[in-house]
Amino acid sequence: MENNEYQYTESPFNVSRRQFITIGGIVVALLALPVVWVKYLATSRNDYILARTKGLYRDDEKAKIRVSHANPAVAQYYKDFGGKPLGGLSEELLHTKYINRTKGLS
Amino acid sequence: MSRAVKTYQRGEIPGVIAINSSLCKGCDACKRHCPTGAIQGMFGAVHSIDVDRCLNCAQCLINCPFGAPYETSDAVDGVIAKLKDRSFTVAGIIAPAVRVAIGEDFGMPVGSLVTGKLYGAMKKAGFEILDNNFTADLTIMEEGSEFIQRARHAVFGEQGEHGAEIGPLPQFTSCCPAWVRFVETQYPALIPNLSSAKSPQQMAGAVAKTYGTKVWGKEANKIYTVGIMPCTAKKWEASRPEFKSAYEYHKHKGNTGTGTPYLDVDVVLTTRDLSRLFKKLNINLATEKEADGGTLLSEYTGAGTIFGNTGGVMEAALRTAYAVLTGEELKPLEFKKVRGLKGVKSAAVTLKDSKYNKEVTVQVAVVHGLAENIAPVVDEVLAGRSPYHFIEVMNCPGGCINGGGQPIQGGGSSWLGAVLPWFAWK
Amino acid sequence: MHNETMILKHPLRVRIFHYLLIISFLPLALTGLALYFKPFAEDNMNLIMQIHIVTGGILSLDAAAFFLIGFERVILFIKRMFTISINDVKWFSVLGGYPQKFLFKKKVPVPPMGKYNSGQKLFGMCVLIGGAILIGTGWILWAFPHNLPRAAVAFMGSLHTFFGLLLTLFLPVHLFLGVYMFDDFKAMILSGKIPYHDAQSTSPLWVEREVMPLK
Repeated sequence: MENNEYQYTESPFNVSRRQFITIGGIVVALLALPVVWVKYLATSRNDYILARTKGLYRDDEKAKIRVSHANPAVAQYYKDFGGKPLGGLSEELLHTKYINRTKGLS
Repeated sequence: MSRAVKTYQRGEIPGVIAINSSLCKGCDACKRHCPTGAIQGMFGAVHSIDVDRCLNCAQCLINCPFGAPYETSDAVDGVIAKLKDRSFTVAGIIAPAVRVAIGEDFGMPVGSLVTGKLYGAMKKAGFEILDNNFTADLTIMEEGSEFIQRARHAVFGEQGEHGAEIGPLPQFTSCCPAWVRFVETQYPALIPNLSSAKSPQQMAGAVAKTYGTKVWGKEANKIYTVGIMPCTAKKWEASRPEFKSAYEYHKHKGNTGTGTPYLDVDVVLTTRDLSRLFKKLNINLATEKEADGGTLLSEYTGAGTIFGNTGGVMEAALRTAYAVLTGEELKPLEFKKVRGLKGVKSAAVTLKDSKYNKEVTVQVAVVHGLAENIAPVVDEVLAGRSPYHFIEVMNCPGGCINGGGQPIQGGGSSWLGAVLPWFAWK
Repeated sequence: MHNETMILKHPLRVRIFHYLLIISFLPLALTGLALYFKPFAEDNMNLIMQIHIVTGGILSLDAAAFFLIGFERVILFIKRMFTISINDVKWFSVLGGYPQKFLFKKKVPVPPMGKYNSGQKLFGMCVLIGGAILIGTGWILWAFPHNLPRAAVAFMGSLHTFFGLLLTLFLPVHLFLGVYMFDDFKAMILSGKIPYHDAQSTSPLWVEREVMPLK
């Protein structure tokens, strides 16, 4: 396509070494900003989970009683009403059976 | 629901989560969080949920960048009506995970522990408090005893009382309704391995309408139980028709307060739902004064409260199982090996069974993030090659604190693994 | 025509870059609109998405390759697009004389322009900034929507939609005027050359300051 002649062309545009480095620096900075931002997003994405986890372990640490078998309210429940674990009313109220749902239910 | 649903019993809520087609971009982000591949629709096209495969866990909902999945059941107005009705005692069953997240909906920092303020806000709204951590302690007593029974049967040949059949090892926890539904729809052969203990929510409902009648001085059919959960699958769990143990109990005893059957847990609100309820009633949780629960049904231990974290149920169970088997308290109480965000955690606990005077090593595992981590664990159990005796399973990455019903954290993602590109095509 | 004095306005590598832009951006714009409005059924939406991704890949490679191969040209282009003066304000105040020409057949005087007139500079700015943002957000929306925080992904989606719609709306203007100025159309699509005479009337400052005779 450029076999046809042309008589004029654009003046050469050259970038000096110094300009090249400056521009290169700006380009790298412009590219680096979003990369750094995305990397921050990726690394902090689970922080909210860790914060909530920590909250519950703190609730445990500051509890006066930290083992279920020492809960006086639970003991009271069994004494007043439930009987004992796996006994008394447990089967009826606190245990259940499961269903095979691969058989097609109504 | 006109389409044929095959995996729901009559009375169950068939499909707690649906996708809004006008918001869905077809980007496939949701599919990667779904544990069962329940999301239909090609890449680029509008997606929809196959309710028969769906576990109702809402991991898709909390991770969708465009807010396309939504909940189909909203009980807030119904609960407000009951709160205003003086003939009812409305019992709020508060899960552990709620107290470290609900503050976020009221401008408080992520993970703020707001138990006292939550009690205050609920009481102001008219709730009685039934802390699910109390029933978590109860669950440990029941499930821990069940595990000891199964273990002593497997190791020492001990028989059950009245010749009752004892379940096999490994025992799986059963408090996560998404996990239970996963077993029921995909691995029914593992049903015998599931602990027969109900989840703390369902125990709470049964206790509220039996023992609770004495605590609150109210007839069972005038007690309205509201699960307040970080979990959307709990809405489905509460609707399971077999969960009317309290009604059956009263019928057997010939008590008054029967008539129309009622469920143990009448309705479930997610953490988000409760925040909306408070806002509708002009209650600002952040400025509430600390209050306490009021009755023994809100007294709980540190073991009960850690149920919301992955590894928490296991740690609580070990604290009690160790004490029951050896006669001594576990030292230190913190069982760090089952804590943290690793997909499958395992630990070995060596202890002396004081009844048989023999040393045993209990192998335990903790799995969370069902989508990514459950397959090898259950396949191992099915093949008879599992090294574990007791396995805790939670569907949601991180545990219930990151449940599908929790306040949505825009700056977060449930994705626990490496952030690698996934180039969808079909 | 054969005796006319010609200026080489667009060398071959520039034209190749532009050909690749045409075959990638036109499908991107059309599939982008379809993805936004979702008028079609499932299988077709998936095919549309696949086309969007493939042409997005071509566009990205084209832009990256030209940036590396024609680095000085790219810098010159950016320099030209972002060099503005009072002449540009005056150009916009008469809308470049186009509405008057099309609607009233009147010829209105326009301030002298460089290689690119003020309207082209505005389009160029949109393309440079919008294009870069579309490429960046596009890749992330495809590869990482599930494991980056949802608010950030939604924000990138909004950016992608905004600049996508902006460029898609600007596109018909560019296509129309690009063909209407038929000498320039021939220069960009065919020979790369423009008659000296026409360049003098449309881009006098360019001819005056940046064009030189071949040695």
